[in-house]
Amino acid sequence: MIATGLLASAVRSGPPAWLRRSFGRAALAIVLPLAVLLVWTASARWGWLPQQILPSPIEVWQSFVDLAGSGELLHHTDVSLLRVVYGFAAGAGAGLLLGTAMGLSPTVEDYVKPLFTALAQVPTLGWIPLLMLLVGIDETLKIVIIAKAAFVPITINTAAGMRAVPRGLVEVAESFRFSRFQLLRKVAFPAAVPQIFTGIRYGLTHAWMALVGVELLASSEGLGYLLVWSRQMFWLDQMIVGMLVIGLVGLLMDAILGLVEARLQRWRVAGL
Amino acid sequence: MSLLLRSSLVLAGTLLALAGAGVLKARAAEPVTIRIGYAAIGVGNVPYANGTSAATARAGQFVEKEFLDDPSVKVEWYFFKGAGPAVNEAFANSQLDFAYQGDLPSIIGRANGLKTRILLASGAHKPVFLAVPVSSDIKTIEDLKGRKVAIFRGTNTQLAVDKVLAAHGLSEQDLKVISLDDSAAPAALAAKDIDAAFGDTELIALAQTGLARIAYTSQGDNPAFGRYASLLGLDGFTQAHPDLTRRVVKAFVKAAQWSSEDQNHAALFDLWARSGTPVDVLEVFFHGDSLNYRNSPLLDPLMVRHYSDLAHQARAFGQIRRDVDIDGWFEPEYLDAALKDLSLEHYWRSYDAAGRQQAAAALP
Amino acid sequence: MSTMPTRRRLRGLVLPGLLLMLWEITSHLGWIDPRLLPPIEAVVHTAVGQASSGHLGADLAASLLRDLTGFGIGGAAGLAFGTLLGLSGLARGLIGPSFDAGKQIALFAWIPLISIWFGIGETAKIVFVALAAFTPVALNTFEGVRSASVKLIEIGTVLTFSRRQFVTRIFLPSALPSILVGLQLALINCWLATIATEYFMTVGPGIGGLIIEGRERFQMDLVVLGILVLGLVGFLLNRGGVAIEARLLRWQA
Repeated sequence: MIATGLLASAVRSGPPAWLRRSFGRAALAIVLPLAVLLVWTASARWGWLPQQILPSPIEVWQSFVDLAGSGELLHHTDVSLLRVVYGFAAGAGAGLLLGTAMGLSPTVEDYVKPLFTALAQVPTLGWIPLLMLLVGIDETLKIVIIAKAAFVPITINTAAGMRAVPRGLVEVAESFRFSRFQLLRKVAFPAAVPQIFTGIRYGLTHAWMALVGVELLASSEGLGYLLVWSRQMFWLDQMIVGMLVIGLVGLLMDAILGLVEARLQRWRVAGL
Repeated sequence: MSLLLRSSLVLAGTLLALAGAGVLKARAAEPVTIRIGYAAIGVGNVPYANGTSAATARAGQFVEKEFLDDPSVKVEWYFFKGAGPAVNEAFANSQLDFAYQGDLPSIIGRANGLKTRILLASGAHKPVFLAVPVSSDIKTIEDLKGRKVAIFRGTNTQLAVDKVLAAHGLSEQDLKVISLDDSAAPAALAAKDIDAAFGDTELIALAQTGLARIAYTSQGDNPAFGRYASLLGLDGFTQAHPDLTRRVVKAFVKAAQWSSEDQNHAALFDLWARSGTPVDVLEVFFHGDSLNYRNSPLLDPLMVRHYSDLAHQARAFGQIRRDVDIDGWFEPEYLDAALKDLSLEHYWRSYDAAGRQQAAAALP
Repeated sequence: MSTMPTRRRLRGLVLPGLLLMLWEITSHLGWIDPRLLPPIEAVVHTAVGQASSGHLGADLAASLLRDLTGFGIGGAAGLAFGTLLGLSGLARGLIGPSFDAGKQIALFAWIPLISIWFGIGETAKIVFVALAAFTPVALNTFEGVRSASVKLIEIGTVLTFSRRQFVTRIFLPSALPSILVGLQLALINCWLATIATEYFMTVGPGIGGLIIEGRERFQMDLVVLGILVLGLVGFLLNRGGVAIEARLLRWQA
């Protein structure tokens, strides 16, 4: 009783509430991963699951150290990242253009939407064999597939965002005799930013997923290739390292995107 | 009770119920199903193969005939586009009881702790072929440097290729290797997406259609470049059903014997052609080798030495990361029993570790 | 949509029409190797052949079964998980961060692991498709439930509804739109995942298998047919989802 009372008062007079809260949050978040790690280690130690199915965490760590040390991990990550960057840039660029055109001009939408929707219905993977025959299995294939994966959600969301620009705003801009370009830059774009960013978020996720998919299918380097190769050779520890790195890179890209979005939001608000 | 606690209990209960149902289901199954895997698949994914006595066993239904009088025993065959590596996945999940598999994937499986026994040889001494587009300038192995080459990773082709490359001063690192399976490689080659491909019958077939040419074959080259394969049995099954194992091995030996008879040549190749590979291609594949030589099931000292060497080489080439001990892996008792049963002790030639013919048949 | 004047509708057909014409012309004139791009009649011919031989039906049925089974399992799991996270602060703090991290691993990166963990057969494929459904459903359900429960807390103190009324009149209508969005996304994801399983896991009947076979046998008409079927099913699933969603939301209002 007294002890808890003392502890309580100690806690109360300790670090400020916000620190305690974030520390508490972090501590809680760690519990599950730690528990999983514990069970995993125990399982490997006492062989609850055969070792082909689950290598020990130490092996995974060792594998990571080996891969990182030899420079292979960096090389594969580089290759994959570069592909995503090029593909995403191409797809996003095209998507923003087409989405804006479709969103702002009902005429364009009339012409383009049915074909676009039809093509968008086919899952990205479905296009790969056809594309393989047209462009081979080189970098071009990968970039085109990644671009397509990003293109669809970005176009859809950009169009939606542009379409939803309040008529009132447009009218005000027109009354100020804004040029087409000014209208776009000062009115349409800022208003559509949140929706566009949803599209960009989806686009990036899809692009990354398409990258892994196309690398699984036909590649001689990259993180997806690392997974295939590990699977053939039954190197589960290396495979898990590959998966974790893929997750990590995905996390980083998402975080960067979040920062960019926050920046744009500030600019948007400031502009208005 | 908090929501979290309640949910966790429900989840645990569901999982336990599922596990219990699984156990009951396993307990209840009495009729035995013998699941045999084959580390390849026919053209167009037909469930047949060629070039080995195991393929004969399948197409000629040798195993099914062995158990005709036993209605409680079922035989199921599984074919794998993913070849040896895919068989390992199935073994790891105990989804197969026996499998025909190449040397390298078997070693990889053992290196990863799979509990199997080598019961007999099948598809021994297979050569490897290198195919290039017709207009290609690649003439020798050395020309492959820096080029995009398809090698099916994890299969016995890979190890043979590594040996061939090494003999010419190259390694996989000197090439841009893409791992493609037996149907993707010819397609890529025909489309000129790759500069070259290593493989066997599928490439011969491609060359015969004029879309590629064979630039190299290990036929006639160093016999050490040949690939081996065998029938393996998973310990879980062979130890639980030694009687069934004996009969399965006997059926395979019968198939091997039938495949080794020169008089059966035409019938044999027709049977193998069910896999979609034309007879002409098979003739090229077997050129210069006798049927008896290629279809021998013997686990002789040469084969043991081969697998032992392979284990070291696989380690050296980086294909396995820990040393593999092949002691106790070969299990000749079923083969010996079958040979004695069928009076075939002197039907095939046994080779000693140095490659010389031996008097006696099987392994001590 | 149905109120759009015919002139505008016709505009939408211009581009596809041009594309089809271009396809026919290049294929017939041989500008592109007809083996690479078969003329439209060839594709139709193959389609009829495949359909009448029952192959197409079998492939389609296999793919759909895989898709819907995985969707059902993953969706149900996602609903339960999302609801739990939305309602329990403890769960949110405990499991939330791990889930956030885990979902960063690109879906296809799971394929090799699931293949090794579940081996051959349908199980591996259905597990993967279920995984594809799980994340969007869980995320959107969480969002819906969370915002609904916040609203509940606001309103709850004012009204004197029974527990049942709370759930049906306030909670569900609030959470339902998000949940439905999640299920819609999952439906699309699952179709993509189903094709992925047919590409990367053990061979079996399916539309994905049809496409791969076509490519390997250089039968491009099969590939094109497969793509068309993929698109058609994707479209129907989409439409079906939207229709069900509209139905449910109308009933709620």
